[in-house]
Amino acid sequence: MEAVKSAEGRNPKAEGQSLLGWVLLAAGFGLLLWFIASWWSRTELAPGGLKLLIGAGFLIGALGLARVANSFTKTTNALIAFVPAGLTLLLALVTVEALLRAYQVPVGLIPTPSRVLSTLVDVRQVLLQDAYQTVVLEAFTGWAVGSVLGVGFALLVSRFVFLERGFLPYASAFSAIPIVALAPVLVKMVGIEWQSKAIIVAITVFFPVVVNTFRGLTEVSHMSLDLMRSYAASQLQNYSALRIPNALPFIFNGLKLGTTLAMIGAIVGEFFGANGQGLGFRIQIEAGRFGFDIVWSAIIVASVIGIAWYNAVAWVERRLTGWHVSFRE
Amino acid sequence: MSLFRSPNLVPMLVIAVVIALLYYPLMLFANVPVAQRALDNGAALECKTALECAPQMRSPVLPSPQQLLTGFRSLLFPLNAPTSIIPNALTTAFNTLMGLLLAAVVGFFFAIGIVASRAFERSLLPLVVASQTVPIIAIAPMLVVVLGQYGVQGWLPKAIIAGFVAFFPIAIGVAKGLRSPDPMALDLMKTYNAPTWQTYVLLRFPASVPYLFTAFKVSVTAALIGAIVAEIATVGFQGGLGRMLFENSRASDVVAIWVIMISSAVLGILLVALVNLAERVVTPWKR
Amino acid sequence: MVAVNNVSMTFQTGTVALKDANLEIASGEFISLIGPSGCGKTTLLRLLADLIQPTSGSISIGGKTPEEARKSRAYGYVFQAATLMEWRSVLHNVMLPLEVMNFPQAERRARAEKMLALVGLEKFAKHYPWQLSGGMQQRVSIARALAFDPQLLFMDEPFGALDEITRENLNLELLRLWRETGKTVIFVTHSIPEAVFLSTRIVVMTPRPGKIETVIPVDLPQPRTFETRETPEFFRIATEVREALRKGHGYDVQE
Repeated sequence: MEAVKSAEGRNPKAEGQSLLGWVLLAAGFGLLLWFIASWWSRTELAPGGLKLLIGAGFLIGALGLARVANSFTKTTNALIAFVPAGLTLLLALVTVEALLRAYQVPVGLIPTPSRVLSTLVDVRQVLLQDAYQTVVLEAFTGWAVGSVLGVGFALLVSRFVFLERGFLPYASAFSAIPIVALAPVLVKMVGIEWQSKAIIVAITVFFPVVVNTFRGLTEVSHMSLDLMRSYAASQLQNYSALRIPNALPFIFNGLKLGTTLAMIGAIVGEFFGANGQGLGFRIQIEAGRFGFDIVWSAIIVASVIGIAWYNAVAWVERRLTGWHVSFRE
Repeated sequence: MSLFRSPNLVPMLVIAVVIALLYYPLMLFANVPVAQRALDNGAALECKTALECAPQMRSPVLPSPQQLLTGFRSLLFPLNAPTSIIPNALTTAFNTLMGLLLAAVVGFFFAIGIVASRAFERSLLPLVVASQTVPIIAIAPMLVVVLGQYGVQGWLPKAIIAGFVAFFPIAIGVAKGLRSPDPMALDLMKTYNAPTWQTYVLLRFPASVPYLFTAFKVSVTAALIGAIVAEIATVGFQGGLGRMLFENSRASDVVAIWVIMISSAVLGILLVALVNLAERVVTPWKR
Repeated sequence: MVAVNNVSMTFQTGTVALKDANLEIASGEFISLIGPSGCGKTTLLRLLADLIQPTSGSISIGGKTPEEARKSRAYGYVFQAATLMEWRSVLHNVMLPLEVMNFPQAERRARAEKMLALVGLEKFAKHYPWQLSGGMQQRVSIARALAFDPQLLFMDEPFGALDEITRENLNLELLRLWRETGKTVIFVTHSIPEAVFLSTRIVVMTPRPGKIETVIPVDLPQPRTFETRETPEFFRIATEVREALRKGHGYDVQE
């Protein structure tokens, strides 16, 4: 089927649009930054005119951004494609900074982005220790244990029809259980040290990994199975040559989902009891005493680690399952 | 329900029975050392041997079936008491569903933006995608406090947090749905000279409904977690399973925590079933 | 009715999909466009329907440009797939174009019911698409294309995905519809017997670049029946089409 394509390409009009976009974007940033600089150490509310100026700066920037983003719609390089999104984030942060300063919102309530950044630098030692506890000890250990057990369990279950029918409906029902409810029970059972949170994470990661892996192992085409049968392949060969490779993309989906669940499990688990350390503990304690700059810093740390971890798993996935449909252009 | 006619029924029952039979010895095994230690410390217990004490510890590692039963009875009745599970579960369910509704409304507009404008997609979608690998739930305690400062109280802050957690899968699901019509179907609308809004109303919106429900199924549990955490973070007793969980966790009432955990699990499963039911009612054209 | 003058179509990618096409179609004709993939037959149909615009040349449909024709809803289009909306019952699927075109509320149902009767599906009005076989779905989509009574019917390999037996039955039914309604039909296919059986004229097209090789008149008597396929005249014309395709190196059509 011949696709209908609009007549757009390397024409001078589009390049003019993108240049205009960059100019507008720079103007928007200029206005906002100029205001922030001029209001840096003032403590009174900004007059209406200046507030309008912030609005104008944001609007001009957004208009420019839309034009700039249009010139990025063709690129296939993932990093370059992220440029418009990065600029959006930056524009949003600068606008928030300007607004908070113009309206003199108490720092204790909503800290300005710049203050969060400086706090992040100040308390990095503490946060890194917290992150070690939450991410390495709790989330990662739990995730690894839960994943290994999950894949193993799925392999076992897929081998025996009776187990499959008896267990799997429970497994999918278990995915519907809110982890938060699990947390206090496990904290009471195992104690407030990191192990209790690691177990919470392992349990939360286990079920989606089982369900995903199992689907991958069993959603094999009948023709492929018949083909293996025509070769008189053994069960072992059936798994190694067909079922497991087929399951890999599914397993990785489970693992990627698991990274997010692991971070959530560890952080929420700490809300219910921690030994005075951990990102979740820090967030809860500081939110209670209006230390929101530290809360935001902790969230940033958790986010950066969460994104990095997810992408690390995705990278391994690409190396191992590059043949899969989802990676074809 | 197809479950009762499915070949899964017998194996599921067998597994359930095996687990039930294993539970009691497992409970004894887990509790006996604790009971022994309590006896050794000379705690005033009404039982003599560790084995006898194991099923009736105040803070058991695993509660015994009798304890769970008594726990359920005392936490259920009277049904309309503020400490009963029923009204609290209803509160949490309401918060969760309002959150889903909120996420669906905002998600729809966001999805239309994604489908209608490449620039919008390029400048916002990557951020939303990245935000999904972030433990958004961490924001909940702070969001509740900040929203409370600006007078947003009652169910709204909880619904906002539940919706916040559920937003991404819904927005992406709806966007997928809006894009799902066959190019031929879009050409068909073009041959009718239908304006864009009609293509949305007659074609894209109905096509996205099944995708919306798939997204609901994925995100309802996440939204429930969001609602519970938000309830925990809220100051003062405004009801909800999260609040109950927190109060009893602080009071170290282990049996009660177990009871609430099981109730939350049941609520989670019921909400998923509710979404399935709603899907069947709303999309009767599906098999 | 339809006039195509020196029309060429080059895609963004540089592919020449159609080169210097010329064609005149009179009112009430049944024209088949036949040729292998890449010969530009679907492109030509999409150009007539204003789904794409030609790089050069001009098209006139009843004295209008394709765009004006589309905007005045001058033609019905039947696609390769039935493209029924799965959330609408059969009746409401046929009513879809009438809704878009703002027909009076009362008239919509009456027209749709009449069209369903015309394709012999009045008993299935309340069914959903998934409850129908592929052939029945395609009949619904033909009823839908006729619902607003356009003078022209464009059909893009409408029976391509159906089995041979269903296809022969639908061919017969389509001829009946054409006789009863007096529409002008432009029909894309890659089956030689289908083209010969249905058409008053066959436009043979060949690829690389897509062009009209020749136009072959089909003077088989009307009304045509299953027996028509077994007459020597039928074979003579089928052979003529096959020869024309081979001459243009377009011989990978299905028998």
